[in-house]
Amino acid sequence: MLQTSPQLDATFAALADPTRRAILARLAQGEAPVGELAKPFDMSLPAISKHLKVLERAGLVSRGREAQWRPVRLEAGPLKEAAGWIERYRKFWEQSFDRLDSYLQRLQAEAAKSKSAIKPSSKERKRGSGK
Amino acid sequence: MAPANSEEHNVEHMDGTRDFVISRTLDAPHDLVWQTWTQPEHLNRWWGPKGFKVVACDIDLRPGGVLHYGLQSPDGNTMWGKWTFREIKAPELMVVVVSFSDKDRGVTRHPMAPSWPLETLSRTTFEEKDGKTLMTLRWRPINATPEEIAMFDASHESMTGGFSGTFEQLTAYLAAIQP
Repeated sequence: MLQTSPQLDATFAALADPTRRAILARLAQGEAPVGELAKPFDMSLPAISKHLKVLERAGLVSRGREAQWRPVRLEAGPLKEAAGWIERYRKFWEQSFDRLDSYLQRLQAEAAKSKSAIKPSSKERKRGSGK
Repeated sequence: MAPANSEEHNVEHMDGTRDFVISRTLDAPHDLVWQTWTQPEHLNRWWGPKGFKVVACDIDLRPGGVLHYGLQSPDGNTMWGKWTFREIKAPELMVVVVSFSDKDRGVTRHPMAPSWPLETLSRTTFEEKDGKTLMTLRWRPINATPEEIAMFDASHESMTGGFSGTFEQLTAYLAAIQP
């Protein structure tokens, strides 16, 4: 369960550089060859390739195999992992509320049944608030 | 899922934190809903996704009192947590400080995300209308460092803003953690 931290460290380390963040922002719009990624920067291709290797090691980008120019594409997984803690909370509570919803239906159905069978209230209150 | 009010989503507090909001309408009066939230024998029946088990639940329902609990997930791990009650107005409002915990009631870090805020404030309202109860939970970090706030915001922006929102938040996060 604690294995996620090294991946997060790699993700944040890779994101710490403004050039690499700019590359990712460009890739968020679609895959691109290295030459095109290099264009907005005053940098050599080898320098850009170095950044891409860091991003690739962090799992943030991958390189295509099919085309000769090997397009670079974004891998959203690690970012999602980094930013997804609330999603777990939401799922946790949404699923709890599903259970609460049906539990409340059961409680109220039982209450209605015992009301019509016996006398109202006192038994009911015990069920609701007693130990 | 009932969609949360989008304006409420965007409320920014004085300390720069934002609420994370979940809401749900339940087909039951708020008295009964309140009971299911405040009595261990009820909490045992619904708390946690399917397959989870409440293995400990000790509640002292008063301002300053604590609800200490252990929830066992289907893989056998027990997650400990603590709610410290700040404000209680039965059956309408419950404000609690939420933290991870251990068996001995200590306050601990998120077991998987050390940058998670140590404490979050959760404000839950129960509004009855026509015999149904609208339950709204709002969370935000309290006493949090800029890093913790960024982590929290990055997390919940990811739910609403999609990838680009996430990316912007992470950028903000990085700006916050770098001197």
